[in-house]
Amino acid sequence: MRNPLVKRLPSEFKNELGKYIVIFLFMALSVSFVSGWSVAGGSMATAYDESFEKYNIEDGNFELYAKADNELIKAVEDSDRYDTKIYENFYVEFPTKEVDSTLRIFKKRTDINLECLMDGEFPSSDSEIAIDRMYADNNSLNVGDKLTLHGKEYRICGLVALSDYSALFSSPSDMMFDSIKFGVAIVTADTFGTYPEDKLHYVYSWKYAERPADNTEAKKLSEDFLDKLSEEAPKYMNAVTGYIPEYTNQAIIFTGDDIKGDTAFVQMFLYIIVVIIAFIFAITTSNTIAKEAVVIGTLRATGYTKWEIVRHYLTLPMLVVFAGAVVGNILGYTVLKDYAASAYYGSYSLPTYVTLWNPQAFINTTVIPIIIVFIIDLLMLTRKLSLSPLQFIRHDLSRRKKKKAFRLNTKIGIMKRFRLRVLFQNMPNYIIMIIGALLGNVLVMFGLVLGPVLDNYQQEITSNLLADHQYLLKAQVETENKDAEKFSATTLKTIEGTLKSEEITVYGIAKNSRYVDLPLSDNEVYISNAYSEKHGIKTGDEITLREQFGSKEYKFRVGGIYYYPSTLTVFMDKDAFNEKFDCDKDYFTGYFSKSEISDIDDLYIATEITVDDLTKVSRQLTRSMGNMMNIFVVFGVIMYVLIIYLLSKIIIEKNAQSISMTKILGYRNSEINGIYIATTAIVTVVTLLVTIPLSDYVLGQLFVIFMRDYPGWLPYRSFVSVYVKTALIGIGSFAVIALALTRKIKKVPLADALKNVDE
Amino acid sequence: MFLTVKEIRKHFGEGDSRVEVLNGIDAEIEKGEICVLLGPSGSGKSTLLNIIGGIDSADSGYIAINGEKTADMNEKKLTLYRRKHLGYIFQQYNLIPNLNIKENVEIGAYLSDNPLDTDEILKTLGLYEHRHKLPNQLSGGQQQRTAIGRAIIKNPDILLCDEPTGALDYKTSKDILKLISDVNKKFGNTVVMVTHNDAIKNMADRVIKLRDGMIRKNYLNENKIAAEDLDW
Repeated sequence: MRNPLVKRLPSEFKNELGKYIVIFLFMALSVSFVSGWSVAGGSMATAYDESFEKYNIEDGNFELYAKADNELIKAVEDSDRYDTKIYENFYVEFPTKEVDSTLRIFKKRTDINLECLMDGEFPSSDSEIAIDRMYADNNSLNVGDKLTLHGKEYRICGLVALSDYSALFSSPSDMMFDSIKFGVAIVTADTFGTYPEDKLHYVYSWKYAERPADNTEAKKLSEDFLDKLSEEAPKYMNAVTGYIPEYTNQAIIFTGDDIKGDTAFVQMFLYIIVVIIAFIFAITTSNTIAKEAVVIGTLRATGYTKWEIVRHYLTLPMLVVFAGAVVGNILGYTVLKDYAASAYYGSYSLPTYVTLWNPQAFINTTVIPIIIVFIIDLLMLTRKLSLSPLQFIRHDLSRRKKKKAFRLNTKIGIMKRFRLRVLFQNMPNYIIMIIGALLGNVLVMFGLVLGPVLDNYQQEITSNLLADHQYLLKAQVETENKDAEKFSATTLKTIEGTLKSEEITVYGIAKNSRYVDLPLSDNEVYISNAYSEKHGIKTGDEITLREQFGSKEYKFRVGGIYYYPSTLTVFMDKDAFNEKFDCDKDYFTGYFSKSEISDIDDLYIATEITVDDLTKVSRQLTRSMGNMMNIFVVFGVIMYVLIIYLLSKIIIEKNAQSISMTKILGYRNSEINGIYIATTAIVTVVTLLVTIPLSDYVLGQLFVIFMRDYPGWLPYRSFVSVYVKTALIGIGSFAVIALALTRKIKKVPLADALKNVDE
Repeated sequence: MFLTVKEIRKHFGEGDSRVEVLNGIDAEIEKGEICVLLGPSGSGKSTLLNIIGGIDSADSGYIAINGEKTADMNEKKLTLYRRKHLGYIFQQYNLIPNLNIKENVEIGAYLSDNPLDTDEILKTLGLYEHRHKLPNQLSGGQQQRTAIGRAIIKNPDILLCDEPTGALDYKTSKDILKLISDVNKKFGNTVVMVTHNDAIKNMADRVIKLRDGMIRKNYLNENKIAAEDLDW
């Protein structure tokens, strides 16, 4: 015979419809977000992983000062420590006339780092160019548009994704890619052959006969490769000017790392939400058990087993979680997947992808949440229902018999004491509420703070430039410009420890510099605050840096911190620099100048470091994440409102009889609100006061963790305006909740107190 | 007349399940009287008490205290009416479970401009040493005494008691009835007590017997005896 308890389920569902709808929506929303992200991320990660073979992505590349002789290539290829083939992958870079950007141009690849055609067609004539799809989107360029480069007009014939530039990093040392002011493009081999030799970058890609099994093997092989390359290049009157193995090449690996990292992050986020949902169910079911104690006692007394009752009270929460997960998955696979995919396509130059059924995503978003809710609620129910039938019938549900009420100072007014009692009575609710609010606030604050952090960073960089113009020269050329001041510079690398190895710019600054005002001595250096903050280096510490393409190490004593947020930099006396790096006494690398230097031929200028170069991080993050920030705020607010509403509603339902009794005694609704809603309001305010700085701290720590994987430093800053906005959002949200709760209290009937329930 | 019950009618349910619970109840109770509403289950006595207490509303008729009709009152005025004039004692005590004994009494005191002294009341009720305990740490009789304390601390004009001894044993019931009687003597409150225990009518000044929603008897008790002398 069918269990008659099942017949109660529809009416129980109807009675608690509001709660179930809210939890269902909460679950469906969270799962859809995570599922959409996981499906899109999973599909894209697969497409990305497959692209290594499909598009024959390199195992690394190096740049030489001059074009390599065939003998040099053969000599490097000829090793018993690795089996590799080297391919030319030359490029030129030209500024674009139509948009404010630089385009890196390759010839159409045939062997390695093949391109994926996203729209239009590959170039077939000397006036055609195919440009990166992402760069085209960001600069509103379309197939058929004109683009002028190096004085020549090209027709954009196609939009492509270059497999070795899924993230548009112009330099391996960049903290962030720049898909707005930097792009890649391909032209025909004939067209490429017309570019002047002095503009060519002699980049070579290498590919092992067999792909390394993991990064450890890749590291070993690449070190062997670098040893051989460094050994052979000088023999052929050449020099290595750049070297980057695939496993450290941000332009290739950043996308995969980011997509996989995102999936893990949203997954963790879902689990936290599911645990909160499970506890909400645990608290509400616990209340229901208290309300239905007599019924439960009677059922148990008439022969129903504890497990039958447990199963009954588990059914609705499990069904609601399951329904939420299913609907969330449907939404995830349909609506949210496209949204997530467009977010990825908005950041990365990815090849086309096919949506793949992701069993892992289904397990993560459906099976695991159901198991979490099941376990937490099962534990609560088995504990709650382990009392004897008689205890239920007598409503004697307290496990700790004769629990003494703790004393409150009677000098405190009765209403305040009443509020305190409500507070202590509902501590589990309030703890869950604080955790939920913290989570909501982290999301809201993240949504609110990123913009100011990036703006602040951009502003700090702009106002703390070493000089308005900074030129790096290919040769030591003099200038007549009176503003110019010579400096020496080189790039070293940090030693890999808890943080990845990354590039450090070392400047040799002239004595009494007009641009870098530092009391530099021969035996001490100053470091930028960016370097100090990221690596936790203080004045007096000793730092060790290594050659960029070698193993020689240099030690420096830190004499002070210089406020320069742009890059990780070491400042030292120019003479000391030249001595330390075995340069001539008069050696210099470039000029600082407050006015443009116009008397040096472009031929001798390697690069001019501009504000655009230094602010690409903030620009790209704003572009990639700007739209996402509002979603974080909205989702955070929804989460915040739902959790606080559900838990405060539970408090009122739990105390319905007391509320009814106070009404009978003659308490006004405003006074009752003052007891029950005001307590939650006070908790909300305290929660905001605690969780806002805590969320800020958590975000700061997350930023530090996030930045560990990136070269450079983007400092996290706290903003009063963000605190105020978050607090106002929190208070505003609670005002809406309070209105709903006021209605709920008003609706508590006087007759509730007359029900035959004894607590 | 202090408390007037005039032509009170009340029904529950509709159609076939419609039940006329009160069929035109008329009664008048003097200030300071102990009035016992007596009757079997379903006679309408608790419904009448709830209507007097402003917890429930009548279909027609009215309740008046000192000429002030409850039917004319909106929700706010009804709240004020309960606050100002009434004290309640229920069969199931209805104490606030998360407040201790003293606090349960104090929430009654809070509603009055001139409450009685809480500690005095607790001592009178024999609850002083239990004042820091929670309701579920006390016996039924002690809980009911707490409920009485909460009701009388604001010194209400009318004390409404709905089966105040219904959940108690014989001895404790007598103690509670004596307490109600003592309160009535000491403070002069009008007491309206619902019971199905026929013996309790003997301590009343006025007895109103109800059956099927109608008053069967309404008389002044000439042979009133002290609560402690009751027997059943």
